[in-house]
Amino acid sequence: MAEAAKSPENFLPLTPAVFHVLLALADGEKHGYAIMQEVEDMTGGSVQMGPGTLYGSIKRMLTAGLIEESDDRPDPALDDERRRYYQQTGLGRKVLRLETERMAELMALARRKHVLARAG
Amino acid sequence: MRGSNWAPATIDLSVRIYTRLLAVYPDRFRAEYGHHMSQVFRDVCRRDYQRRGMAGMTSLWARTLLDLIRTTVEEHIERGLHMNHEKFVRWSGWALMGGAILFAAGQAIGNLDPNRNDPIGGVGASYEIGAIVGLALGQVLFVIGFLGLRAGYMERGGSLGGMALIVSVIGAGLSLAGILMMGVTESELAWQAWAIGLLTMTLGLAVFGVVALRRKVFARWNFAPLLAAATLLLPLSGLAGDSAVTVAAFSIGLVLVGFRMQAEAGRTG
Repeated sequence: MAEAAKSPENFLPLTPAVFHVLLALADGEKHGYAIMQEVEDMTGGSVQMGPGTLYGSIKRMLTAGLIEESDDRPDPALDDERRRYYQQTGLGRKVLRLETERMAELMALARRKHVLARAG
Repeated sequence: MRGSNWAPATIDLSVRIYTRLLAVYPDRFRAEYGHHMSQVFRDVCRRDYQRRGMAGMTSLWARTLLDLIRTTVEEHIERGLHMNHEKFVRWSGWALMGGAILFAAGQAIGNLDPNRNDPIGGVGASYEIGAIVGLALGQVLFVIGFLGLRAGYMERGGSLGGMALIVSVIGAGLSLAGILMMGVTESELAWQAWAIGLLTMTLGLAVFGVVALRRKVFARWNFAPLLAAATLLLPLSGLAGDSAVTVAAFSIGLVLVGFRMQAEAGRTG
């Protein structure tokens, strides 16, 4: 089961919180507050994660091997040493790509059915 | 009010209250992430207070309380599931050890029957009952033990190891049915069910034993499942005579497996 569980396909579909955290980490390592801030900025404020949701997701993603703690500090002088930084793992990158492809396929299907045109 | 002297005090008070509220989370989660959650909450307090003053703080508290309630329930459920899994693996390790001892005792009691080899066919009732009870209870504990072994080591044993242990569970169940039938009927079918069940259980264990050796599923003693299976397969296949030594070796092998299970219960996934 270890190999099966580590297969990127087995993680799909992702929960919105996990997807947003992975997406926030797509351009480099970040600490908890920076992830939260990035998610709010990316979604125009429509997704606001609380600390419980954020760190519950981080805990599960660390266990699943989707993210890992990073030792790098972008600017140690400006940052509290106790802050933990997180970054995507190789598995996390693959899972994010597959989930994005899956959603793109759904979007293409919806376009073919003119769902968006009707909704608009 | 924004920018007034008591703004930092409002934020500090909010953070202090939030940090106290973190006590509702499971200990391990709070110890690992509590400090970081407080830190993030403080950052968000500062931001929301700067942006929207007290209205921002009120809105933040409403969101945060909902988040706290929902994620506390989630974390406690997750912790409960983890603890139950850990306990099940630990107790099924004890069950496997108990089953191995009862199985050996049942065989030994049956062998002690002075009328066992009587050509006229007489049996000592107390020996027969003792043997059947020992073997039946042993098989019940084997079913629990193999289920726990699968639950605890499926991740390390892979799909083949998991399948092999399902075969062992089915075999132990069939063997148990055969023993129970023996108690009420002299039918040949009961003996066949017992023997086929035992053979199936042992074959499943042998496959898991090979997987254990190859993948090092236990921290140590990975030879134990194969030792148990091989020593019982020899007499079952007719390659070697049934003897106290093979039954003892089978039982020792399973006791070692059970011991590893209860010792490693907190580390299996």
